[in-house]
Amino acid sequence: DTLFQAEVAAYEGVKIGSIQDLALAQPQEFRYPWDDANCISYLIKLGVPAGGGVGPDKDIVAFNAICPHMGFPLLGQFKSEHQVMGPCPSHLSTYDLTRHGMVVAGHATEGLPQVMLETRGDDIYAVGVMGLIYGFSNNEAAPV
Amino acid sequence: MTNDYVPQDKIPLPPPDAEVRTTACDYCIVGCGYRVFTWPVGKEGGPRADQNALGMDMPTRTFQGWISPNQHNVTLIDGKRHHVVVQPDPNATVVNRQGNHSIRGGTLALKVYNPDGPTRDRLQSPLLRVNGELTPVSWDTALDIMARVSRHVIDTYGEAAWAMKTFSYQYFENTYAISKLAFRSIVTPAYSPHDKPGPGADTAGLDDSGINPFSASYEDWSEADVIFLSGTDPFESKTIVFTEWMMKGNTDKKLIFALPRRTTGVAWAEQHGGILLQLIPGSDTVLQLAIARIILENGWEDSEFIGKWVANAWEIDAGMGRGTRNTPWQWRTTWGKLGSGIEEYREWLFEQPHAELDRAAEITGVPADLIVRAAEMLAKPVDGVRPKASFGLEKGNYWSNNYGNTASFAALALICGAGNRPGQVVSRLGGHQRGWIGAASYPIDKSPNRLPGRRRQEIDLDRWVESGNVRFAWVIGTTWINAMAASHELHDTFHRMTRRNEHQLTTTDVDQAAATLIARADSGGMVVAVQDIYLQSPIGDELADIVLPASTWGENDFARCNGERRLRLYSKFNDPPGDSRPDWWIIAQFARKMGFEGYDWQDSNQVFEEAARSSRGGVLDYFPLVRYAQSQGRRAHDVLRDMGTTGIQTPVRMVNGELVGTKRLHDSTLELGTPEGPTVHRKWLTHFHTHSGKAVLNKSPWEWFSDFYERITPTGDELWMTNGRINELWQSAYDDSRKPYITQRWPDNYVEIHPNDAEPRGIESGDEVIMESDDILVQTGGFTIVKGDEFLFSKMEENGLIRSGKGHSKAVAIVTDAVRPGLLFTNFIYSPGWPETESNSLIHRVPDPITNRYRFKLGKAKIRKTGESPYKDSFESMTFKSRNII
Repeated sequence: DTLFQAEVAAYEGVKIGSIQDLALAQPQEFRYPWDDANCISYLIKLGVPAGGGVGPDKDIVAFNAICPHMGFPLLGQFKSEHQVMGPCPSHLSTYDLTRHGMVVAGHATEGLPQVMLETRGDDIYAVGVMGLIYGFSNNEAAPV
Repeated sequence: MTNDYVPQDKIPLPPPDAEVRTTACDYCIVGCGYRVFTWPVGKEGGPRADQNALGMDMPTRTFQGWISPNQHNVTLIDGKRHHVVVQPDPNATVVNRQGNHSIRGGTLALKVYNPDGPTRDRLQSPLLRVNGELTPVSWDTALDIMARVSRHVIDTYGEAAWAMKTFSYQYFENTYAISKLAFRSIVTPAYSPHDKPGPGADTAGLDDSGINPFSASYEDWSEADVIFLSGTDPFESKTIVFTEWMMKGNTDKKLIFALPRRTTGVAWAEQHGGILLQLIPGSDTVLQLAIARIILENGWEDSEFIGKWVANAWEIDAGMGRGTRNTPWQWRTTWGKLGSGIEEYREWLFEQPHAELDRAAEITGVPADLIVRAAEMLAKPVDGVRPKASFGLEKGNYWSNNYGNTASFAALALICGAGNRPGQVVSRLGGHQRGWIGAASYPIDKSPNRLPGRRRQEIDLDRWVESGNVRFAWVIGTTWINAMAASHELHDTFHRMTRRNEHQLTTTDVDQAAATLIARADSGGMVVAVQDIYLQSPIGDELADIVLPASTWGENDFARCNGERRLRLYSKFNDPPGDSRPDWWIIAQFARKMGFEGYDWQDSNQVFEEAARSSRGGVLDYFPLVRYAQSQGRRAHDVLRDMGTTGIQTPVRMVNGELVGTKRLHDSTLELGTPEGPTVHRKWLTHFHTHSGKAVLNKSPWEWFSDFYERITPTGDELWMTNGRINELWQSAYDDSRKPYITQRWPDNYVEIHPNDAEPRGIESGDEVIMESDDILVQTGGFTIVKGDEFLFSKMEENGLIRSGKGHSKAVAIVTDAVRPGLLFTNFIYSPGWPETESNSLIHRVPDPITNRYRFKLGKAKIRKTGESPYKDSFESMTFKSRNII
């Protein structure tokens, strides 16, 4: 992923799941990097290899779940057959989870922020966020 | 320059003392309201509400507004580096309420000149092509040469040898100056706007019916029960009209799309009770007539409205159209062939074999039951109540069979009772914003084009150039060549008349350079001056002899209207790059060198105030605003500035001493008192724009189009090739190709192809393909048509006025069932790849004979795989996911 040498804040690794417990196309919700409503994220096993994917099949990814268009939550909007998040119920932005959350169609001026993952044995750790989370001016700054 | 995209995870916040100004989007017709923060580099606001100019704690929440990294840039102000943030106005109460925005406007900050960023190749100095190299020269040198060549060309060959090709939309101040020069000072008929062969109406069938194409307000789309959308998906190219107005408001609203593709907006519509009439390109007239016929057969027409608001035969005749002058509108409406009362229209319609349901289904490719369903949705009363139907159209409709499609569209709308009431409107959805103020009328008397009966028609400038009649051409802010039809053929003409001419510059000396270019003109060649913000291909980097650097949005105070005629000030907030100047300034300097009077403007506000006089009495009338400002001892731009992103809808009126906007035109619910002060009450404020004030049903003869349509219908291995816009890209991508975030999504041109067409050709998503044809038709010569039927395509072909040329365009394939079988869909203009990604090279350069409009949407090509793109298996760039997942 040469294009995605993004500025990724250095965070404490946080365990968010395990390879063994993660079922195909069954998103697991977690909050990262802060315990804040805008930091709701999904850990998803897509079933196809993806940019930034981890696990034996490189198909485990995690994304923030707040639409970077206008901050509408994308809860329940994962479309497993297409590996996309969206369309956002508010204005129909859709994001490709195999390609770093890139906008497929829609209005957001950022892709869906991708939570960077690492595996340590069977455990899955969140270790960073690529892209600014909706509403934040700095991913590293604690919410006011 | 690298355009590699690197997502950022922090942005600098504007400090509480940051400068804040309002503007509107530079791009599509919708014209969303934005605010611009600027402050010196080295300073930043903090995350608490009292530490930043937003007055917000971070993080902000849903719909509260946010600054994303792609809404920030660094620019120069007074020569010093400043942060700039361009944010959709979260306080907007009109257009983009709560700061809604498209991906185009949302990334406006990335278009701002940054000497260290991808926009650093902005043109900064006048250039002269000396020994083949573009060489910086002074403004005086460039304009002196232009003035000398111009004087010689006009004196020797006449005004019609001196041509202009310019944007029609890029702010009142500039278009007023351009039209003052072209139509008042030089008085040349060799003028054409950016997107057509000559001036005039885009949707003549609407105008001829008395309907202004921008009569609706956005709220009308919100209030309708059903909307017939033809030749456009506003989700893609008029985003906020779709997401803020059509998706909201009346929750029972149903959308009917007449479109060859199942786009995002279509998928949403189908999920909400709407339908797609997935027609074969070019068959709109037949579809619209068939729907109208079903409505009339069943008695579902709005008889009360028709009785009151549709002209009968006597009222059409008595009105002489709009008068006795021989303008295209007037001769069409007084021709006796088209306008008809409801009984005559019904009789004519029922005689048209192609309007009969089964035949219409065959021609359009739309199942008969869906045509019937559309008629029911538009007009069948439910429990005795008529649905409130509105009608919106765009280029898929009027750029395929211009007159027939727009006239039959207007007639269908009128039969359904639309056109002059809240939620029951007929309008274009629009492309560019409305930024044209004409200082004088186009000199149609001098146009070489004449139809039978010596009926006047505006020039076909491309044909005029190809016929060798233009010796000097000035191109302002448009990609002449790429944006026109049969563009590779047109390029050959330009190249022959410029670069292949023996007279080329070898010095920047004014006397010698002017002499050389005059020799060029005298030898039958052409001198080209290009004025733009970037050096475009091929008109700037290859064909221009003289290049003039223009300044643009954000670099001067400008004004114009959006698609609901909403006038706003587009504030200056940063420095123009280098020696670039606003277009009006460049025009004025040239005009003074030519010895013309009336070009002494000191700033853009002076142009704005002068232009108001020419707006008076028109749809964009803001003259009362200027008079109001003068009465307060203020500048008109400053009064408009006070109105922020709300602005005011034109025509501006004065009521009880206050400025009042006009929500919709032809508004039968609008109550007008006595005109006050500078206010003008035109009939079309409350009635239709005809002599009688009633709308006119115009026939739309299929036989004026069908011979051409049959000739260009694909055969054998050929497929239809149509084109359009996509949400993420604006126009020719002149800005987008400098927005890394956008080029990551769209690093190349694309073409959609149906699996049925892709599979036998071995084409998969991500493959590189080429579309090509050696049967692209070009109309030549024949400016004066004498006999009655010689304007028809088949007669022109018989008379040797049609030749055949070549075109090709490369793209990355996207295999999708969103596009109908037998049809390719690609970018309208994707300039970064000229000449290889040029879909307009596959468009026939044969304009509609009645209205002189190209049929841009009706190309054809053979397509074959040439390899695999680097994006096929990449995670980093481009995506091939379906755009219509709902």
